[in-house]
Amino acid sequence: MALMETTQPLRKRDLRIALGAILIVVAVAAPFIGSRYVIHSLIIALIFMLPAHGLNLLVGYTGLLSLAQAAFFGIGAYTAGLLAVTYGTPFYVNLVAAGLVTGLIALPLGIPALRLRSTSFVMCTLGFVIIGQAIAKNWISLTRGDMGLSSIPKPYFALGPLSFTVSGTTAFYYLALVIGALATFAVWAIVRSPAGRNMIAIRENETLAESVGIPTWRYKLIVFMLSAVFAGIGGSVYAHYLTVVSPLTFQMYYSTTMLIIVLGGGAGTISGVVFGSLLFVGLTEALRITPELRMIAYGLCLLVLVFWFKKGCAPLINRFWDMIGGTK
Amino acid sequence: MNHLPMLEINNLTKSYGAVKAVDDVSIHVSRGEIAGLIGPNGSGKSTFFDCSTGLGKPDTGAVKLDGQDITGWTLNRIAREGRMLRSFQKTVVFKALDVEENLIIAGQMFTFPSLLSTFGLGHMSRQRVSGLRERARELIRMAGLWEVRHQPAGNLSGGQQKLIQFASMLMPEPKIILLDEPMAGINPKIIERVVETILYANKSLGVSFLIIEHNIDVVTSICQRVIVLDQGRKLVEGAPGDIIQDQRVREAYLGG
Repeated sequence: MALMETTQPLRKRDLRIALGAILIVVAVAAPFIGSRYVIHSLIIALIFMLPAHGLNLLVGYTGLLSLAQAAFFGIGAYTAGLLAVTYGTPFYVNLVAAGLVTGLIALPLGIPALRLRSTSFVMCTLGFVIIGQAIAKNWISLTRGDMGLSSIPKPYFALGPLSFTVSGTTAFYYLALVIGALATFAVWAIVRSPAGRNMIAIRENETLAESVGIPTWRYKLIVFMLSAVFAGIGGSVYAHYLTVVSPLTFQMYYSTTMLIIVLGGGAGTISGVVFGSLLFVGLTEALRITPELRMIAYGLCLLVLVFWFKKGCAPLINRFWDMIGGTK
Repeated sequence: MNHLPMLEINNLTKSYGAVKAVDDVSIHVSRGEIAGLIGPNGSGKSTFFDCSTGLGKPDTGAVKLDGQDITGWTLNRIAREGRMLRSFQKTVVFKALDVEENLIIAGQMFTFPSLLSTFGLGHMSRQRVSGLRERARELIRMAGLWEVRHQPAGNLSGGQQKLIQFASMLMPEPKIILLDEPMAGINPKIIERVVETILYANKSLGVSFLIIEHNIDVVTSICQRVIVLDQGRKLVEGAPGDIIQDQRVREAYLGG
């Protein structure tokens, strides 16, 4: 005990910084440690983390359950794919365009949808995915229907005379890592701003939020658009990674995956979403090696989640902090 | 000195199907006044409140706040631009958030000039929030909640939650506050404290009040004028002393 008293207890903040640093080192060193397949899984996890971050703003912070993320993911993928194939524009142009287009499309969709209450809103957002897929299948002159867009170029950058292409898996991993880090920072900034506090107020009690002057309707619309921007950017990275986009990009399965990341990781926490992406996407991607067991393992994961971790992994992460760092 | 009433509501009517919950009621609250609104259960007080504050839509009628027509404004706009705030009977605080956060949220929309500016994280934004925090702490101390300021509001007693709600409503320097049964379900010690807070806000900050309250002792001690509703209609209004003597009021309460 005497020894305990003389050593300074580790502070939670220092611990976070230390663990964050370790995480960064591991993330940067991953291509040197992991196999090609592990890196591929990590890339998919990083890509799905983007729409999940957007969804977390909506579900976790504003309290609006949406299944529309796959629709915006698909719109982003098609926007980037079409631009790249038709005009040969560089990667960052496609990425920004995908974010802008999905954000703008979310505006006319959000205005009627957000007038609906709880369950009706969820059903409406589900409709967006189905409509998106129907359009991708049937607007053949634009999307080439079921054939989809193929041979989307690998991301290439052009800055004045300099130009280079991100072709290898490792290089793409670093690109996805940088985009993922920027997106995580963006969510952090939104959540930490006074607007983030208003979003939480809306989640906690919408009428009370109204009564202190918060224009809840306008906030919900803005957050809906922001969530779409994240999904659209995710879609553009996805298109450039797989180099193929088809109507199957508009999949309910994707929407539910994104929801599982958020709810399973810990809605309303940023680290939960990062963790959730690695666990629920990285893991299922890695489990493809054993296809027979994959869905079973996934199903088991979800059962455990539903029964024992109703708030996702976030409380688990917190307990871990407390365990190794005391409570300060 | 402006002699216009602070709040003027004319010919407000609201029906649910065939039932007229509020039937052609006109009232006003003078500048700096504490007015009471009483009546038996189901007399339309809460509906009247909701329709005056933008939570419900009146069928007919006009609401004028400080000389400005605010008929049809939403609840959030009335709060933000009109600085007319209201409380609720049941929903009182953001339960999961701590006391200080509750108050900061209550002040934000009055400090930031636009919705988009609330997304800022820069120097201006941080300065505004720290200003809010300072004011929040001042009010928390005044309300006697200093010790529990970092606790989730939902963990506190009903009375303490009501105090948080009061403090929240004082964050934006309101012109008028509408209280819906502020004394319901809280112990006498806190009632005293709530009364003190109302009187302080009225005298020192110049806030006008319209209060729905069943506790007749509180009504007679703090209200300068009392309006009685019965079956959706205005029955009578006058000084509290006269009202409790009034035969019609007694009959309304006794169901005569």
